[in-house]
Amino acid sequence: MPSICLYFEVHQPLRLNRFSVFNIGNESPNPLYFDGKLNQQIFEKVAKKCYIPTNNLLLDLINRSDGKFRVSFSLTGTFIEYCEKFMPEIIDSFKALFKTGAVDMIEETYYHSLSSLYDEMDEFEEQVKLHRQMIKKLFNYKPKIFRNTEAIYDNRIAKKVADMGYKGIITEGTEKILHWRSPNFLYKPINCNLKILLRNYTLSDDVGFRFSARLWKDYPLTAEKYAYWMAKNEGDLINLFMDYETFGEHHWDATGIFDFLGNLPNEVFKHKHLDFVTVSEAVARYDPVGEVDVPWAISWADEDRDVSTWLGNDMQKACFNELKNLGKKLKEKDDRDMIDTWRRLQTSDHLYYVSTKGMEDGAVHAYFSPYDGPYDGFINYMNILQDLKQRLD
Amino acid sequence: MKIAMIGWEYPPFKAGGLATHCYGLTRSLADKNVKIDFYMPKTKKSAYNDKSNLKIIEVGETEIFPYDRPDSKEIGGNFYEAVYYYNSLVASKVEKNIKTKGKYNAVHCHDWLTMKAGITIKEKWGLPLVLTIHSTEYDRSGWLYPNQWFIDLEREGMEKADRIIAVSHFTKRVIVDKYRINPDKITVIHNAVYPIPEGHKQEIVLFLGRLTIQKGAEFFLKAAQKVKDFEPDTKFVVAGTGDMLPSLISQAIEMGISDRVIFTGRLTEDEVRHIYGISSVYVMPSVSEPFGITALEAISAGTPTIASKTAGFSEAFKNCLRVDFWDTDEMANKIISLLRYDPLHRTLVKEGKREVDLFTWDRVADKTIDVYNGVI
Repeated sequence: MPSICLYFEVHQPLRLNRFSVFNIGNESPNPLYFDGKLNQQIFEKVAKKCYIPTNNLLLDLINRSDGKFRVSFSLTGTFIEYCEKFMPEIIDSFKALFKTGAVDMIEETYYHSLSSLYDEMDEFEEQVKLHRQMIKKLFNYKPKIFRNTEAIYDNRIAKKVADMGYKGIITEGTEKILHWRSPNFLYKPINCNLKILLRNYTLSDDVGFRFSARLWKDYPLTAEKYAYWMAKNEGDLINLFMDYETFGEHHWDATGIFDFLGNLPNEVFKHKHLDFVTVSEAVARYDPVGEVDVPWAISWADEDRDVSTWLGNDMQKACFNELKNLGKKLKEKDDRDMIDTWRRLQTSDHLYYVSTKGMEDGAVHAYFSPYDGPYDGFINYMNILQDLKQRLD
Repeated sequence: MKIAMIGWEYPPFKAGGLATHCYGLTRSLADKNVKIDFYMPKTKKSAYNDKSNLKIIEVGETEIFPYDRPDSKEIGGNFYEAVYYYNSLVASKVEKNIKTKGKYNAVHCHDWLTMKAGITIKEKWGLPLVLTIHSTEYDRSGWLYPNQWFIDLEREGMEKADRIIAVSHFTKRVIVDKYRINPDKITVIHNAVYPIPEGHKQEIVLFLGRLTIQKGAEFFLKAAQKVKDFEPDTKFVVAGTGDMLPSLISQAIEMGISDRVIFTGRLTEDEVRHIYGISSVYVMPSVSEPFGITALEAISAGTPTIASKTAGFSEAFKNCLRVDFWDTDEMANKIISLLRYDPLHRTLVKEGKREVDLFTWDRVADKTIDVYNGVI
């Protein structure tokens, strides 16, 4: 009997101020790298459209189903900081959700960064610890399952995560690693003891991407139809992983996305062999059916399902290397404020905006970007990195 | 299909994008088996042509005219007269050819310079009139004091045309908003380019265009002044000529950048190709730019381009940098970034060349044929 494992990524990046070459090395003590006003605006907008109504709806669905409807979250550190600063009531509502016992929390890097791809794993480990402290403080809980930034995964990362004591890890159910095999089972890495949850990208993207696409042959998607599709799936586990902003932000209220979510539990319960599990429960209940070998990093991003989203062109690689090299010097100097700023600049979104991919992915990148294209994104980000570098010398 | 096309300039004589467009369009149409009689004023050097479907018919004994609006009243008066004279000569020449060699399927005009003849032929022979708008009086005046005489002439042509081709959505909006033309009869066809080879790159930031209010060279100089201290080895080249040349030279001297700015004056076709090839950055700070073929030319030569946000080019092309023409701080920021950050420069060269390959005259000809088929 397949269990449905619903998991949401909740993240907001710290968008940058416009920073020109003429700002580099200016003597102001506190350079304004982050665009406080824009960030507050976007956060409040998304909170009203998505976070608040969706949290309320989920709480209601959990209560009405006596906790049989179950979900999992990963909340990034930057997201929680926004809540603390602008809308602490959102943290309270996540606490209320967690208190039901039907909600699980997932670990990740505090800054939603690409630190897992650095040559050394120390920065990655520190950022995971920061996240662990945050979850402990907010929920008095220690997550058992890890999900790296945008599900970036390879053997090396799996090994590190296993060494840090996690029981499971989430990544993309791509053919690149599965070949003919189904994502609806747990797998294990070839090199360590860890259970891997694989995103069922077809069913996940039916909601995440296609829900409001009028040209899609299955439009409109109803909870009844969707539950029926899941009921036909074979395997132990159907992993539906998506951005939390799917609800109310990527698909607006008027598309019917909240009705869909509201009806989903009851439509699922009509199929007696289906139930909901959290990520921890999935890992406790099922055993791996095979191994996956992932020497090169995969992710759930773009059509390529690799790290080309962030490191696909020369501009992105240059920023990434600059960022990495800054870290070595910063740590020698041990300036806490500068290290903090450096970490905020590591949020993967900054490199995402610099992607030059065309076609479908390009449109998605443009939707999220605060810049007029990847080149402006590069100039702005690189100027800031140069400023930080000058401050360091 | 046989088209009477009425032009104003054609290589080797060339003052602006009109010549480039007519050259590319007529040759690609000829390759697609459209017969073109291209009418133009007689010039000193004969226009180049090796296509059997294309006939270039030079009319009159007139000398080269300014492309833009002449500033002086005296030249201006002669100029308008010459334009009228040319249009009447073309009309009678077309008429003669129709009588001796048979009718055309349509007449195709370009800009105000050729509108009168197009209207006359349409009205006399009942031929469908296609009109391409490469620029309007609003563009050429930089939106300062546009001349009503031109506007009226342009509006008459636009109203009487069966179909209008605009070189950008930007221009289509001007035609609809300022000339009150029905948007349904306007088709947007973006321009194209014959690629120019990349040369040995030097630290040159290039401006190339007519030195008129429309092209915004003064903003280029302001940006150059801001870049100067940050990039001490960079040269700025202002290529082209026009009524603003003397004032631009004075401006450069006043700004203390005359040792860094080179004014080339008018360049030959080969010199233009050379300067595109060896430049590292191209800036097109036009105040009003219906399209801006020069941006495509620069990019094809491996020169990343910073273009005015409102230029027609900017709406059509992804792999470029965009600025407000008046925002010279941002223009300087982008120039310095291109000179300083090699990965940015490299990526723009690579992606730009890939994208520019899509802008072919073959595609323009296909779309133009669609327009012809809609009116014939």
